[in-house]
Amino acid sequence: MQHIAERYTGASVRRSEDPRILTGSGRYVDDVRLPGMLHAAFVRSPVAHARITRIDVRAAAEAPGVTLVLTGEELERSLVPGPGIAAMFSGGAPVPAFTTLASDKVRVVGDPVVLVVAESRYLAEDACELVEVDYEELPAVMTSQAAQDPASPAIFEDLASNVLVRSPVAVFGDVDGAFARADRIVRADLRQHRHQNAPMECRGVVCSFDPESGELTVHSATQGVHIVRTTLSTALGLPPEKVRVLAGDIGGSFGLKLGAYREDVACAAASRRLGRPVRWMEDRLENLTFSGQAREESFEVEAAVTNEGEILGLRVKMTIDTGAYPGMGAMLPELVKTMIPGPYKIGALSFEWTAVVTNKAAYVAYRGPWASETWVRERMIDLIAMELGMEPLEVRLRNVATRETPPLRMVTGRSLAGVTARESLEAVAAKVDLPAFRRLQAGARGHGRYLGLGVATYIEPAPGPLEGRGGGGIMGPEQVRLRLEEDGTVTLFTSQMPHGQSHQTTFAQVAADEFGVPIEQVRVVVGDSDLVPMGFGTGGSRAAIMAGGASLHGARALKARVEEIASHLFEAGAEDVELSGGSVAVRGVPASAMSLAELARAARSPGRLPPSLAGDVEVTAAFDGGEGGWSGGSHAAVVEVDVETGQVRVERYVVAEDCGTLINPAIVEGQVRGGIAQGIGAVLLERSAYDEETGQYLSSTFMDYVLATACEIPRIEIEHLETVPLDADVNFRGVGEGGMIIAPPTLCNAIEDALSPFGVRVFEQHLPPARILELIGAIPAG
Amino acid sequence: MRVGSLTVKPPPFDYSAPDTLEEALFLLGEAGDEARPLAGGQSLVPLLSLRLARPSLLVDLAGITTLRTLGAADGHLALGAMVRERQAERDVRVRRLAPVLADALPLIGHPAIRSRGTIGGSLSHADPAAELPAVALVLEAELVAESRARGRRSIAAANFFTGFFTTELAPDELLTSLRVPSPAPGTGWAVDEVARRHGDFAIVGAAAMVRLDTSTGRIGEARVALAGVGDTPVRLRETERMLDGAEPADGAFADAAEDAAARLSPPADVHGSAAYRRHIAGVLVRRTLKLAAQRAREAA
Ligand SMILES: Cc1cc2nc3c(=O)[nH]c(=O)nc-3n(C[C@H](O)[C@H](O)[C@H](O)COP(=O)(O)OP(=O)(O)OC[C@H]3O[C@@H](n4cnc5c(N)ncnc54)[C@H](O)[C@@H]3O)c2cc1C
Repeated sequence: MQHIAERYTGASVRRSEDPRILTGSGRYVDDVRLPGMLHAAFVRSPVAHARITRIDVRAAAEAPGVTLVLTGEELERSLVPGPGIAAMFSGGAPVPAFTTLASDKVRVVGDPVVLVVAESRYLAEDACELVEVDYEELPAVMTSQAAQDPASPAIFEDLASNVLVRSPVAVFGDVDGAFARADRIVRADLRQHRHQNAPMECRGVVCSFDPESGELTVHSATQGVHIVRTTLSTALGLPPEKVRVLAGDIGGSFGLKLGAYREDVACAAASRRLGRPVRWMEDRLENLTFSGQAREESFEVEAAVTNEGEILGLRVKMTIDTGAYPGMGAMLPELVKTMIPGPYKIGALSFEWTAVVTNKAAYVAYRGPWASETWVRERMIDLIAMELGMEPLEVRLRNVATRETPPLRMVTGRSLAGVTARESLEAVAAKVDLPAFRRLQAGARGHGRYLGLGVATYIEPAPGPLEGRGGGGIMGPEQVRLRLEEDGTVTLFTSQMPHGQSHQTTFAQVAADEFGVPIEQVRVVVGDSDLVPMGFGTGGSRAAIMAGGASLHGARALKARVEEIASHLFEAGAEDVELSGGSVAVRGVPASAMSLAELARAARSPGRLPPSLAGDVEVTAAFDGGEGGWSGGSHAAVVEVDVETGQVRVERYVVAEDCGTLINPAIVEGQVRGGIAQGIGAVLLERSAYDEETGQYLSSTFMDYVLATACEIPRIEIEHLETVPLDADVNFRGVGEGGMIIAPPTLCNAIEDALSPFGVRVFEQHLPPARILELIGAIPAG
Repeated sequence: MRVGSLTVKPPPFDYSAPDTLEEALFLLGEAGDEARPLAGGQSLVPLLSLRLARPSLLVDLAGITTLRTLGAADGHLALGAMVRERQAERDVRVRRLAPVLADALPLIGHPAIRSRGTIGGSLSHADPAAELPAVALVLEAELVAESRARGRRSIAAANFFTGFFTTELAPDELLTSLRVPSPAPGTGWAVDEVARRHGDFAIVGAAAMVRLDTSTGRIGEARVALAGVGDTPVRLRETERMLDGAEPADGAFADAAEDAAARLSPPADVHGSAAYRRHIAGVLVRRTLKLAAQRAREAA
């Protein structure tokens, strides 16, 4: 007998996605096969920075199986000029002019120059080799220092220089006073390296234009079907109603697959021109070289501290290398600025930033895009502790915000209501038994073994408290539509586009509880711009809180609608009608019970209900995050460093997290673990490396861009903290990004702690074995 | 890795799958350097996909049963070129007669790769960072080759690896087997490497064999070879000579390590500088010699 759980919300309900995905029955873009489908490949730039002086496509156009060869100039004639997706994430920075396929200049290795469409990808690639492009090479601008040199050649001629933005100095609190009062000033130049999303499934699209109807259907690997629709309809000059975007299963993204990329636009235009479907699946070389990279930022930081470890103020100068084409780089520094005080009572901050363009892949969103605020702050705290000879945990506890009424605020403005940073710090410290670890560490050093402990904490506005929450428009409230079907099941339509987050399970949990049906009777529909409500899609940790909340309120509204319909059908007062266990009845009259299926059929039968209720039993609900609150937590890692080889082993990893009310603990833990795996990768393995002389990309295969595998990830111990609810109904909070935000500082802190007998100070995020040996002085810096 | 054209689809090629060695040699003889033998494909297929290799004909060796034999006779272990790495790794004769080889095999990639990758493919490919070429050097193995033009010949491992991904083999010639002499009784061995992750090619790898003089307890013979430190695998003969007759103690191994490191001029790449590789080479020379000597002592 089926036992109906008291509540699905809060239980580790098995993922409804798993049977499909784990048995290989998922449907990805790569599985889409349309009649007459053609295959696209791109001729891409082999150099980082050059003027294109000649393109000859004649031989390629004649090659076997080739149906279309398009240069940038020719393609542009079929497009509406404009910045496309670039403007959406520019953060107000100037958006330079460029063509969908490079036509005058190439600006990064892998820049698409010519599109070749053929009967197979193999034939398309063969024809690509026949395209002749002459490049007049220009010096490659490969570092943010080089970009700030006025003598560097302008990458975009319509930008005056390679400096995209130089911000004014923003001042919060009495910065000069804080530095005047300080016992000491701790300074550090900190730098993050480039990493990248590297999802298991690369980007991909199948575009199918129907010349009869003038409609474009696009199958896309994307985080949101509506942004793809908007960008493609704008670029192609098609009315949005004529563009339908479909997405199936998505093999990961981590921020990469937002909107239509230049390649997608080119394929859509090619399909319109040919009247046949055109497919492009990005290969791994294209993905690693060109799709996008993230995190390359550097910081000059000064901290004003007292001898007791109180942090009075920070002065921060940030530089971000946004790469060649506009991505998200220029939008992030303002977020970093707002978030850098974190859950601490830091009383003063000055912040200024510079964004530059270089001849590298575009800076894209990557899991916790603004994460440098946490890395920089948590690194500084350990450097301060080292300077003062204090236990880093003590410095954290001395400065971390306490919960007070009214709540304390970050110096940059936002309320710290409900923050549990202190509790999570204490929880991880207790779990690793800090004093016992220090004894173990001292003993091990006597035997030439170097253990280290790192602790770090973060908060994430997912969504953040109501007051001060920005975000209108497409980043505003999230809408869901729910419909009672004629078989009595509920269909929930959402613009969220799951790519690993398990929305089809979690939203069903929430809606099933609220509506009062078994979870199997709730079906979550995603990935069709004709069906799902308008919305941004998945990103910015919106799903749990915004769409989860909308699911709750939507199910509540659907229930009210059902009861209203039932009261008409029963000719009873609405308050006398009750929905429970999959049927409606007049309270106290079990014999009156009518199944939900019957009710839905009755509602759709002409004449049974007044016009305001007749037809589909359907509601739309929107949720803006309600009172909201912070997501966050603390992590602790124990590492051992082999000081002969530089290899780091993560021996233990402990998490205390608070993402509000748990919808599904197993799914939350999966998100936390995945984020930590990427953080371990970032610190120990992954780097998008360029040759600074030639601009060549050096990490274009998985032999060079090394990702963490199961062998490198330790067992991760996770504790869920009891949250402080702020909203009457919805206290779910985002948890997808946190692991990746907090694991890098946790590990860097642990490694520095392990190497403290060598006097090592860690100022960079990437610490591969070779770098460890340089830091301890075993080998010269290379 | 820097690649020529941005692609992961191979250019067109012809394919043939002969059943016999004679047929394969005939095809290779006719096609000259236009043809390439295909073994497990774990290196060749990626090269084709990146269009870094463009043979017009692939001669698939998988159907040639005579290349798949593994046996031990007259004090030698003989492994056919098409013996899969995974098969050799699980073979008790390999473990007994060439433990240094048995220990090296699991360090190659992952089980799925080793189930395809072959002994002959790895040796012929001659990746300077690969484990098997260094192990062939330290074992003083013989590589048996055959072609229509030259017939059968035996090449000492020391003469086989001639440069960066190049060997003594002519384009029309096939490696048919690896012959490994059994180590003298009382020989200890060790294999160790530093790689970015489990299963990656070694940044530096080392294989060592040490025999102790049974009467004096001193080192009778020491051999050590490295992967990842140059264009070819490197046998450290000068360093080995330093150890002749030495006490098998930490000091001697540390001196040997220092001597070895000083002789090398390794390459640099995204994973580490030349100085890093030199340092790691020293660490691994010391660690493998020490462990090999310890095992020799236990065997005695
Ligand atoms: C992800 C991955 C990780 C790997 N990691 C490692 C590692 O850590 N260490 C390591 O050593 N290897 C590693 N490899 C390589 C692999 O394990 C094989 O050792 C290697 O690919 C060669 O064997 P093969 O049978 O696949 O040869 P193939 O790829 O088929 O051939 C390689 C070359 O040898 C030639 N060839 C093959 N057989 C003969 C023959 N009998 N006579 C003449 N020429 C011949 C071919 O023409 C070709 O040029 C890895 C491979 C992959 C894909």
